[in-house]
Amino acid sequence: MIVGNYLAAVALFCIGLYAVLTKRNLVKIVMGLSLIEASTYLLLLSFGYRAHSTAPVLLNPPSGRSPTDLAAGNVADPMLQNVCLTAIVIGVAVTGVFLAVTVRLAQHYGSVDTDDVRDMRG
Amino acid sequence: MSHAGLASLLPLPVVAPLLGAVAAPLAARLSGRLAVVVGAAALATSTMVLARLAPDVYRGEQLTHFMGHWTPVGGAALGVAFSADAWGLTYALAASAVGAVLLVYTLSEQGDLGRRELGGLASLFLLLDAALIGVALTADVINLFVWFEVAALASYALTAFFLERPRALEAAFKILVLTTLAGFAVFLGAALLYANHGATNFGQLHLALAAGGVRAPDTVALGLLVAGLATKAGLVPFHGWLPDAHTAAPGPVSALFSALMVGLGVVATARLTFQVFTPEAAGPILGVLMVVGVGSAVAGGLFALFQDDLKRLLAYDTVSQMGVLVVGLATGEASGLAGTAYHLVNHALFKALLFLCAGAIVHQTGATGLSEMGSLARRVPWLAAAFVVGVVAIAGVPPFDGYASVGLIHDALEHGGQGGPLVLMLVAQTLTIAALGKAAWMAFFRRRDGDYDQCERLRPGMLASLVLLGIACLASGVFPGFLLDHMAGPAAGALLAAPGYAAGALGSGAALPPARVTFEYLRPAELALVAATVAAAVPLARWAAGVDRDGRVPAVLRAVQSGSVNDYAAYLVAGLVATVAALAWR
Repeated sequence: MIVGNYLAAVALFCIGLYAVLTKRNLVKIVMGLSLIEASTYLLLLSFGYRAHSTAPVLLNPPSGRSPTDLAAGNVADPMLQNVCLTAIVIGVAVTGVFLAVTVRLAQHYGSVDTDDVRDMRG
Repeated sequence: MSHAGLASLLPLPVVAPLLGAVAAPLAARLSGRLAVVVGAAALATSTMVLARLAPDVYRGEQLTHFMGHWTPVGGAALGVAFSADAWGLTYALAASAVGAVLLVYTLSEQGDLGRRELGGLASLFLLLDAALIGVALTADVINLFVWFEVAALASYALTAFFLERPRALEAAFKILVLTTLAGFAVFLGAALLYANHGATNFGQLHLALAAGGVRAPDTVALGLLVAGLATKAGLVPFHGWLPDAHTAAPGPVSALFSALMVGLGVVATARLTFQVFTPEAAGPILGVLMVVGVGSAVAGGLFALFQDDLKRLLAYDTVSQMGVLVVGLATGEASGLAGTAYHLVNHALFKALLFLCAGAIVHQTGATGLSEMGSLARRVPWLAAAFVVGVVAIAGVPPFDGYASVGLIHDALEHGGQGGPLVLMLVAQTLTIAALGKAAWMAFFRRRDGDYDQCERLRPGMLASLVLLGIACLASGVFPGFLLDHMAGPAAGALLAAPGYAAGALGSGAALPPARVTFEYLRPAELALVAATVAAAVPLARWAAGVDRDGRVPAVLRAVQSGSVNDYAAYLVAGLVATVAALAWR
């Protein structure tokens, strides 16, 4: 099942990269980047997985376990989940800027095709 | 002040501009100019705090502060560490001091913008500068990613600052796509290092890598990090965003991007290569850096030579100069590293000067292309003088500052027996001189018939900033011995003392012995090289000035730099795959 996670992450990454490299529609490029972003989150959460672990909540442990048991190793790594949360917040901000720029571009050029938006070259 | 007392000042240089970034839009409600004054004051505060730390740090001490006083327990760092060594402090000082000068210039040139605009500009400017200082001081790989993203977000908004100009939007979309991809690479690299070693502190990571050996996942992580940072540094083939972003942004913002922001990539790459990993342990990392550096230096120079847009020409020259910096790192020798530290500062000074001049020309005359300019030396003589100072500094003509720093990098290549790279570096240097010589001639000294629509005089604040940067270019070139002993040498020593840095980053007061680097200022061979490159550049510049805008050679370059964001992303991904493959292939 954790292998499934890695496979799903790779698949998402490839779909996203395919969109970024081949799609000329600006919105599809943004979507591709969002897919790549999602794949990195899945990958990180899978890095933090430990076999037979529980969620890294140390308060109110399940019956028969103390917080020390949980902290000693049979919880998923909370650090990577934390980092993912940070990255998700950043990702939302970036997507916001992305879409704002795309809307303005569409207003200026009347098009969302990368081939119409390439005044600067060489 | 005690050692710990000094160390506890470390967050301040980042906190001051962050507070300024919040205060600036509020101050803008009273007056737009006040917002910029607040910004300059915040960066001046950072500079003063960093300058207070400088004597201790350049003597070889390393100051470390753990946020929230979460000090390491049993060698495991729990809190984010800020650690000032000579290498990081050099960049932090340049970022805060030059940043303050750029804001003074902004106040003078853009002071008549609206209140909202000035508030936003000052706020974003400070956010970006805070992130640069953060990158220089942080000793934590996840924190490095966060500062990378703060710098990235601020740079997106600054690129698109003139929202009504389609070119600014186009540039913003390109920088968004490429830097977001780079951000993923840095993110994954940092997470991989943590997943492999359970550590984020640079010192702890170094110890784990030294004890357990560098394995394949570690080299993959290093490859991802280096490729992501190289994108921020604008190195070929990761550079697609750079010329567009510099062309579209307001003058002082281009200066901030080119003089300071791109340095972020080089500073963090050096830290990871030398202080977290070591070149001996990380396989062909120096070879990878050498290829990327030499490639950027030559390609950047070549592209610059054929540009007609002045700011775009300077932007390509930045690609070239970043290549030179990375070649200095790739030598792996004390003199090369000292040359890189020295050149990092020099580049900040002369590139800020050149971009401010270019911005002033665009602002005052409305002309952007060199073919539209001419005779400016008669109309704005101070601007011409400042631009020429920048050009001779970059050309490495003594006594200006490029001479000693590039000379050190050449020495390190010669000493390391790297004949091929040395020849290519001289070619790149010739191309650079030719490109800038062409720009200076076409803009300032060529005869131009007819008057400009508008051509104001320089305002006092603009003039003061230009004079200050020009004098700094000269001063940095006149006192190479002092700067080598008290800045570049210690910086190189810090990079070469990985175990010492690791101990320091974990909170024990380690000493990082300064590297002994000397530069023979009047060595005939060195002077002959400068003379030869300048002599070769003159005919090249004359020829390039004569090439039509749609001439033969630019068509080839236009096909490569196609303007399509898909192509640029493809170059980036190809570079990323090649970097990771080269490092993992052992």
